[in-house]
Amino acid sequence: MFTRFEEYAASSMLGQPDSPPRLQGKFLFDKPWEREVFGVALSLSKAGYFEWEAFRQNLIESIAEWEDGYCAGQPRWDYYERFFLALKKTLVEAGLLSAAEIAAIDAAFVIANA
Amino acid sequence: MSELFKYDDEREAASAAKVRALEALLIEKGVLGSDSVDTVLGHFETVAGPFNGARIVARAWVDPAFKHLLIEDTPKAIATMDLPQGMDGAEGEHMAAVANGDGVHNLIICTLCSCYPWPVLGLPPYWYKDPVFRARGVREPRAVLREFGVPVAADTEVKVWDSSAQIRWFVVPERPAGSDGMSEEELAALVTPESMMGVALVPSPSSTSLVAG
Repeated sequence: MFTRFEEYAASSMLGQPDSPPRLQGKFLFDKPWEREVFGVALSLSKAGYFEWEAFRQNLIESIAEWEDGYCAGQPRWDYYERFFLALKKTLVEAGLLSAAEIAAIDAAFVIANA
Repeated sequence: MSELFKYDDEREAASAAKVRALEALLIEKGVLGSDSVDTVLGHFETVAGPFNGARIVARAWVDPAFKHLLIEDTPKAIATMDLPQGMDGAEGEHMAAVANGDGVHNLIICTLCSCYPWPVLGLPPYWYKDPVFRARGVREPRAVLREFGVPVAADTEVKVWDSSAQIRWFVVPERPAGSDGMSEEELAALVTPESMMGVALVPSPSSTSLVAG
């Protein structure tokens, strides 16, 4: 149906639980890092490091986990936080990064008062 | 500032730093090219150059008689403008305009394939060709508009127009607030192809957001 990977990837999420936020018909990135993390996932899958569908399954799962969580102490809803979690999981599954490398990145930037 | 907002700010800063670190590591390992994120997003962020449809809409905003003719007889109205040959549907496809207005929002789809008014809008966006989008446009247009980030009031009627090889519909969106006193050329620069398919409104010239098509 689509000859461009980018088009296939973006349209596969339309009408699905993992559909990214849009504003006036275009992707909405509130912060530059949201655009970056979206771009990293797209480029790596386009380069063949993992199937887009495999990433999407992790994304749908990470969204469901948030929805199943308790309200108390739960971080506010943030699509790209869920996206980032799913990407990290996919990178480990694809053997691109180790769980230890991911943990090191997360540990280096803990929220000061969390 | 409340603790909650402070927490969110810090969470944002931490997320941004983590994404940067992850990206740097992937680049260092040679997995990710240093420019590949921009390349892949460029596919969505390339801004359509000046397109004919935008000039048609801007003319309709400043000239009520033209707008009237555009709705009544679209090819005839387009023919009065100084546009390149073929804009009036010379290849057999008949162009027809519908106007958004008080209480009415129009959405254009093509259930059969992906007929698109390309002489006025250029190449169709990727989602227009998606079978799921096409089916949902008919079945649940309001849900589609919500997903596309288009606020349509509950009491606004949503009309769906199905393009075909014979008729290619396009929308004349509403002129945004805050555009008084702008020239026709300046107005044309506000119009997006998405707004002429009904999956966007034309934003007020003062609004800014980081968006990518």
